[in-house]
Amino acid sequence: MAQTIERPDVRETTDEASVTAVPWVTIVWDDPVNLMTYVAYVFRSYFGFPRHEAEQLMLRVHNEGRAVVATGDRETMERHVAAMHGYGLQATLRKADE
Amino acid sequence: MIVSAAQDLGGVRIVLESEEAMLLAEFAGQVVTVLEQDAHTDPALDRLFPDAYVDDAAASDEFRRYTREDLAQSKRDAAAAVRDATSTEEDRGIVDIELDQAASWGWLTFLTDLRLILAERTGILADEPDDDPVTEPITERDGYMRAAYEWVGFVQGSMLEVLDPTNER
Repeated sequence: MAQTIERPDVRETTDEASVTAVPWVTIVWDDPVNLMTYVAYVFRSYFGFPRHEAEQLMLRVHNEGRAVVATGDRETMERHVAAMHGYGLQATLRKADE
Repeated sequence: MIVSAAQDLGGVRIVLESEEAMLLAEFAGQVVTVLEQDAHTDPALDRLFPDAYVDDAAASDEFRRYTREDLAQSKRDAAAAVRDATSTEEDRGIVDIELDQAASWGWLTFLTDLRLILAERTGILADEPDDDPVTEPITERDGYMRAAYEWVGFVQGSMLEVLDPTNER
């Protein structure tokens, strides 16, 4: 198969093992204002997480103060952060290795 | 206030006392006004459009430049939809509102934005009471806004119990 200069397709994932292979992450921060049920519902509806996973992520945000909710290229993470801000969640992005 | 499922729409039905509807309509109008301000002119805006990058003000400003107006527009649209749905003349008794799923999301995000603004106005940081000792007496206005903050959370929580039933606890 011919080599191309295109970037390999970087799939969005929350798999911890792939963090080193892709450079950016979306982080959601704990916010005393937002209801826990709302945060879990946003995770489920926007990212398509199964209910259990969405609730685990929400609890991680609540208990640890923040959680990585997505990993991928910078442009995609910026889109996710903007979407989270649209839902009223406090979200940031950064390089995964920082 | 009574929230139940809107069976045919996949959303919620909200029945409000006219006083509750008037309160929401007034708040919704105020949220539209807050969202019409320029960036950084109001600390509440920094909660609605937080920095996207920690410790990188330039990147955060750049991000805001590309995203803020679209976000502000959808937040204004959501608030305006709530304002229009709840605007009522006095003494009509109740206001009966049916929302499909998309409209329900508009309400959920509006209620979130409203709570963020009320929290900023009253200095609510509920999880950090020890770090934020109350040094000033709570004014009547603060008390009113805190009560509204709790009630708005109750409305949103009631909606979520209908939209996402097994979250009920």
